[in-house]
Amino acid sequence: MRHRAHSFLLVVAAAAPAALGQGVEHTPPPTPAIAAATEVGPLGRRLAAARSGDVIEVGPGIYRERLRIGKPVTLVARPGAVLDGGGTTDIVEITAPGVTLRGFTIRNTGINLDRENAGIRVLAPRATIEDNVLEDILFGIDLREAPDSIVRRNTIGGKALDIARRGDGLRLWRSDRTVVEGNVIHNGRDAIVWYSKGVVVRGNVARQSRYGLHLMFSDGVTITDNEFTGNSVGIYLMYSTGVRIEGNRLLRNRGPSGYGIGLKETDQYSVRDNLIAGNRAGVYIDGSPFTDRMPGEFTGNTIACNDAGMIFLPSARGNELTGNNFIDNIDQVTVAGRGSLEANRFWKGDRGNYWSDYTGYDRNGDGIGDFVHESQTLFENLMEREPSLRLFLFSPAQQAVEFVGRALPAVRPEPKFTDEVPLMRPVPITAGGAGTGHATGRLAAGGAGLLALAGIVLAFGRSGVPREGVTS
Amino acid sequence: MSALAANVSALCRPRPAGRNILTLAHRELREATRSKRFILYSVAFAALGLAVSLVSASVGGGSGLAGFGRTTAGLINIVLLVVPLMALSAGAGAIASDRERGMLAYLLAQPVSRLEVLLGKYLGQAGALAASIALGLGSCAVILAWKGAATSPSSVAWLAGLSLALALGMLSLGMLVSVLSRKVSVAVGIAVFLWLALVFISDLGLMAGAVALRLRIEELFALSLLNPLQVFKMWSLHAAEATLDVLGPAGLYATEEYGQRLHLIFGACMLAWIVVPLAAAGAVFSRRSPT
Repeated sequence: MRHRAHSFLLVVAAAAPAALGQGVEHTPPPTPAIAAATEVGPLGRRLAAARSGDVIEVGPGIYRERLRIGKPVTLVARPGAVLDGGGTTDIVEITAPGVTLRGFTIRNTGINLDRENAGIRVLAPRATIEDNVLEDILFGIDLREAPDSIVRRNTIGGKALDIARRGDGLRLWRSDRTVVEGNVIHNGRDAIVWYSKGVVVRGNVARQSRYGLHLMFSDGVTITDNEFTGNSVGIYLMYSTGVRIEGNRLLRNRGPSGYGIGLKETDQYSVRDNLIAGNRAGVYIDGSPFTDRMPGEFTGNTIACNDAGMIFLPSARGNELTGNNFIDNIDQVTVAGRGSLEANRFWKGDRGNYWSDYTGYDRNGDGIGDFVHESQTLFENLMEREPSLRLFLFSPAQQAVEFVGRALPAVRPEPKFTDEVPLMRPVPITAGGAGTGHATGRLAAGGAGLLALAGIVLAFGRSGVPREGVTS
Repeated sequence: MSALAANVSALCRPRPAGRNILTLAHRELREATRSKRFILYSVAFAALGLAVSLVSASVGGGSGLAGFGRTTAGLINIVLLVVPLMALSAGAGAIASDRERGMLAYLLAQPVSRLEVLLGKYLGQAGALAASIALGLGSCAVILAWKGAATSPSSVAWLAGLSLALALGMLSLGMLVSVLSRKVSVAVGIAVFLWLALVFISDLGLMAGAVALRLRIEELFALSLLNPLQVFKMWSLHAAEATLDVLGPAGLYATEEYGQRLHLIFGACMLAWIVVPLAAAGAVFSRRSPT
């Protein structure tokens, strides 16, 4: 294995005099000493002198060096300790198990996508990376074959590059049972969990990235209480089994193929109590669940104000939706292409979902609508067949089509799905408020301005004939 | 009436053209804002807008979801329905009613040019429409702010400005109808038909065409630019969201192909709808008998 040889070399390099360090691969290109990180600097020399288990405190200052940690030590930065990559290289590389790195500011990696220049690269198990601030980095925290690690309370900010030239803010590769908790990732490409079982992703925030969280071939992952805002895609799951998605907030993920949550050939999943609002599509389901061992479970989610609440590919079967809120999505539930939703259930027993477009009533007051909720608007049906007709959304012609669809049974589409026990009231939203910014003061001022304008025009209009007209 | 007579006698002295237009505009504004029609439309517009605002502000209770709601889209819908009708019928009545009452011959006997009369009436009616729009959208904005909805102030400002632009275009069209009609009833009838055509028939036809002829999205987008109501809708959405992706493939195409140049495209279309019918109305009016 290349990594093993590499780490061996690194240990040797760290122990050897500085000059020997030149033999290690990834030698940075010769650049002016001011900008580039040196191979072994003061921190490297302290590391070389340390013994396993030592706690090394690093004082404030800007350290322009590549830090290679090849023995199980704890590095704790005091406020103001900055590791600067000079814009050319990787910065920290951990090759020994059980290393802790805490409290550093790590900034300014290279931008070489082939070399995947990273702020922190971990190549050994049981690392703890916490309370660091990574700024202006290509790849942020990159765990390769680093199981049982902890990545906690770090802030990871990508470079101001075009999305295709950015790196991943966080990447877990073959790192089982790792805990990712309380991090903030912004302006990265993706946050990735690949080939890693039993990972816990909890209380993180990902903003303005491409994939807020991308899971592939990772079983038994728990994703709870995170926030994914303004990414192209919030959470995308592929080929994974036994994933729990609970209490997350997925807001305004609006890429051209943007979803709050996307499930591709994922199995035995449960999606609970999430708030999914303002996305292009709230939930996108492609070939999930993959087997019929367990129904895909959607419970207690609030799916609101998305262009499409849920999009099912025709291949999707075996999902069960109970006790969710579907509020004011332009299309509440749609099938991409011309398929049917028959193999999915929108109610179970006496529990259905809340539909903001439900038109029935509840005479006996048991909280369940007296009539079946059938989704069958003609315009929605037309849009599914001919997506370009979305151009006519919000126009009175759309309402005319829907009116015709209601009035003439001959053109009424078959119901896409039915909910026999629709809820009359929304279930409580537990994933916290949507917390949108308020500018009500300015809005009120603007409204008052418009009213004043109207008042002036009206006053002028009702004023008498101009004086000169009367006297002449 | 006496005010009008005094007003008209004010025109007897030779004065610069701008003065005459303003005097006529003032008279028209007085008449327009006192008419039942103006009050009816203003109240209807404000009431519908307020209903939409209140509904969209209450989405999801107090969970902050209202910020994601489609307030702007709902208001666009109301504007599309009410403002063209308001402006078309205002324009249609503007000349024809004076002609029917014999007032037009009296007015044109004064030392004012026909163009001055036309522009004066246009300006006066435009003022009344602006007041009506400002009243409706202004009260919506106040209500939304009071309800704590996170509607962006700039999108409301855009909506107000673009509604006025739409109203001006429809007013031009209405004036063209008006100079061509002998009777108010005929003019208003034609105006209502035009409203139906623009609001429903052209969109439904284009929808049918898109399905039947399998129009490509760029063709669909280009054709939709012919309808000033669609231009208004797309422009408002573009101004509020900076993207038309909510309008599906055609909207995405427009956003990716033209980006910020969409403002120019929409602006040119709207300007054409304001200027061309008004110019045509001017050309017809200058040749027609006032009776």
